Amino acid sequence: MKRYLFNFGHAIFTTIPVIILLCVVSGSRAQSIVNTKHNLSVSGPGSIKSTSESEICIFCHTPHSDKAKAPLWNRRDPGSTYILYNSSTSSTLHATTGQPDGASQLCLSCHDGTIALGSVLSRPTEISFARGISTMPEGKTRLGKDLSNDHPVSFTFNSSLSAVNTELKDPSGLTGLVKLSGGKLQCTSCHDPHKNLTYDFLVATTENSTLCLNCHQINNWAFSSHRNSTATWTGRGPNPWTHTPESFNTVSKNACENCHSPHNAGGKAQLMNYHVEESNCLTCHSGSVASGGRNIQVQLSKTYKHNVNAYTGIHDPGEPALVRAKHVECSDCHNPHSSNADDASAPNVKGSMYGVKGVNNSGMPVSSAQYEYEICFRCHSSNAVTGAATSRQVIQTDKRLQFASNNISYHPVETKGRNMDVPGLISPLTVNSMIYCSDCHASNGVGSPAGPHGSVYPQILKEQYSKAENVNESAGAYALCYSCHSRSEYIQDNGDNVRRKIHYKHVVGVKTSCSTCHDPHGISVTQGIPGRNSHLINFSTGVVSPFNGNLYYQEEGNRTGRCYLTCHGVQHNGFSY
Amino acid sequence: MKQLFVTICFLALAPFVFGQITGTGHDFSGATWNQPAAGKCNVCHTPHNAITTVNDAPLWNHAVSNPTYQVYSSGTMQAVVSSPTGNSRLCLSCHDNTIEVGGGLKIGDIGGGYANVGTNLSDDHPISFTYNSLLATQDLGLKDPAIATGIGTLHINQSMLFGTNHDQMECASCHDVHNGYGFDHLLVKDNVGSALCLTCHSK
Repeated sequence: MKRYLFNFGHAIFTTIPVIILLCVVSGSRAQSIVNTKHNLSVSGPGSIKSTSESEICIFCHTPHSDKAKAPLWNRRDPGSTYILYNSSTSSTLHATTGQPDGASQLCLSCHDGTIALGSVLSRPTEISFARGISTMPEGKTRLGKDLSNDHPVSFTFNSSLSAVNTELKDPSGLTGLVKLSGGKLQCTSCHDPHKNLTYDFLVATTENSTLCLNCHQINNWAFSSHRNSTATWTGRGPNPWTHTPESFNTVSKNACENCHSPHNAGGKAQLMNYHVEESNCLTCHSGSVASGGRNIQVQLSKTYKHNVNAYTGIHDPGEPALVRAKHVECSDCHNPHSSNADDASAPNVKGSMYGVKGVNNSGMPVSSAQYEYEICFRCHSSNAVTGAATSRQVIQTDKRLQFASNNISYHPVETKGRNMDVPGLISPLTVNSMIYCSDCHASNGVGSPAGPHGSVYPQILKEQYSKAENVNESAGAYALCYSCHSRSEYIQDNGDNVRRKIHYKHVVGVKTSCSTCHDPHGISVTQGIPGRNSHLINFSTGVVSPFNGNLYYQEEGNRTGRCYLTCHGVQHNGFSY
Repeated sequence: MKQLFVTICFLALAPFVFGQITGTGHDFSGATWNQPAAGKCNVCHTPHNAITTVNDAPLWNHAVSNPTYQVYSSGTMQAVVSSPTGNSRLCLSCHDNTIEVGGGLKIGDIGGGYANVGTNLSDDHPISFTYNSLLATQDLGLKDPAIATGIGTLHINQSMLFGTNHDQMECASCHDVHNGYGFDHLLVKDNVGSALCLTCHSK
């Protein structure tokens, strides 16, 4: 009995190390090609595998051949001419790409789908595959010969390139898992064909875009909501992240891949997930991930909007700050690499518009707008993609000129206002306040996101602003104006000139619109006349006409003035108040 | 205890089938170009007056070629490959196709196939390079030959490498010229599952 016990104890002592050894061995096996889809032999774990060949390495390598080249490559050069991702694909690419070479060419000898998987130099006949498969079946791994929707390969990545494209890291820092081959980025920089330590044979995980960020350093990315947001799929609408591992269930985990695909990209330029630009944004900003105040798709369904749906293939991230070809896309006003939820006060850009190009108040391009209006001026300045909404005495479609600080009068967008006597400003506004374009031009409705996405009101106005004649005055009819200019201070049948004689009498009495007399933007010093175009007076010529050849207002100070005009059949020949 | 040791040795070696040279490509006894009745061994060996130009040549009887070889190179290889040295030169004396195997015929004349490696070795697995623990630290795709198992229970350096330091990869690392193991292509290991390749390559 004792002897059995001894043997049992002995067995335990000898067995435990064996078990440990087996665990170590099987652990290392998990990192071996043997257990990956690249084991195409009969022992392979994948569905694409040979029915007869027992050797694993043979599908790519041979120890002896009369044609093999390093690394003892056992496959023919496909000799394909590939369509490249190059400068004609993307204006933001600085690297010079050529036909695939080095390791990438080897990978493509299967992955371009032109050569049978079982066609190797060291076997006289094609190695047969299960299910009659010969070349790589259709699917995401068959890249084909059109590589213009795939991350570029076989380009020299050196410090000269990173000096030109400062959003690339200096490759001398690539001392980790991502490696260049002969100074070039190749398929093998991101993929290790022999080991599937992550998934898709990637050398590092793409969770939080760890892999991408080995080479890419994106301005402001560290602070971007698209890097940091832990928002998840709400379950409304399709799951936006079916192209990444299931565990990538937040915005931050998907990071770059929220919008970009390294292979088979829907939008070739910048390798976007979708060819239609706004789809890349609205996939999430439709309530599926970004909901409530960040659901932009709801706003874009309204009548008046920055109609991103109307344009495809015109926007280019490399385009000049002053937009030439008329279009609008989300990324004309937003930089998804930079934007976040930071608040700001006018005129400074809010976080949602960080890192966007602009045109400053001198008409000069800026690479990163400091003030919100600079972003509006990309389209609404000298290039004036939209005409004047109201015909007036002084016509100016360049908003930059309308808000210029030396103007006769203007709303305080570019600089503080000129008029130090503005009655009825609703707190906290004062004559020293400044406002955003988007204080007036924004999506209507409580809880809507800031900014001019979409509105039920013309000119994408945040509130109703009736410009028609014979409209009964109400809090609603001119809600836009009354949101800053207290209705009770203007619309009273008593009080001073401003209240009773001017505003009450005109707006309530003869049912004329604010817009009939006032130009809400401003009157350029080069066009207007001091004293006549102060207080944003710029008559709507659709309503107001000259009397005796005269059509003007003359300021006389201290809330007094006189008018020369004909309106509603009433003639003012220097009528004073 | 001694019994136990013997048993372990037996179990360790049990999976290997012992082959023999008879009937292999290296059995020249029936070759028309060979001297009649000269036997299997004479093409390579002689009991007397052997050639000694190559170190450790085992009673060598065949002229030793000495051409200029193109050796393998690769950007992903850390090993330093020299022109063939050591016992690989004995193999190449027939397999580089520069001198006759016998009877005035070179290997190319008698249908060598891939066995006719020629003098361009750039398309063949490198040989005659130092494969030691240091190399395995420089090239993480290689196993440490002093730790990883080679043939049987022996480490790679004990069973598959040559030279005085047991650190030279040669033709004989993969091939047993005498077919001692009985595998196709005179391999020292069955290459099912690329087991021979994965002996050294950590892939």
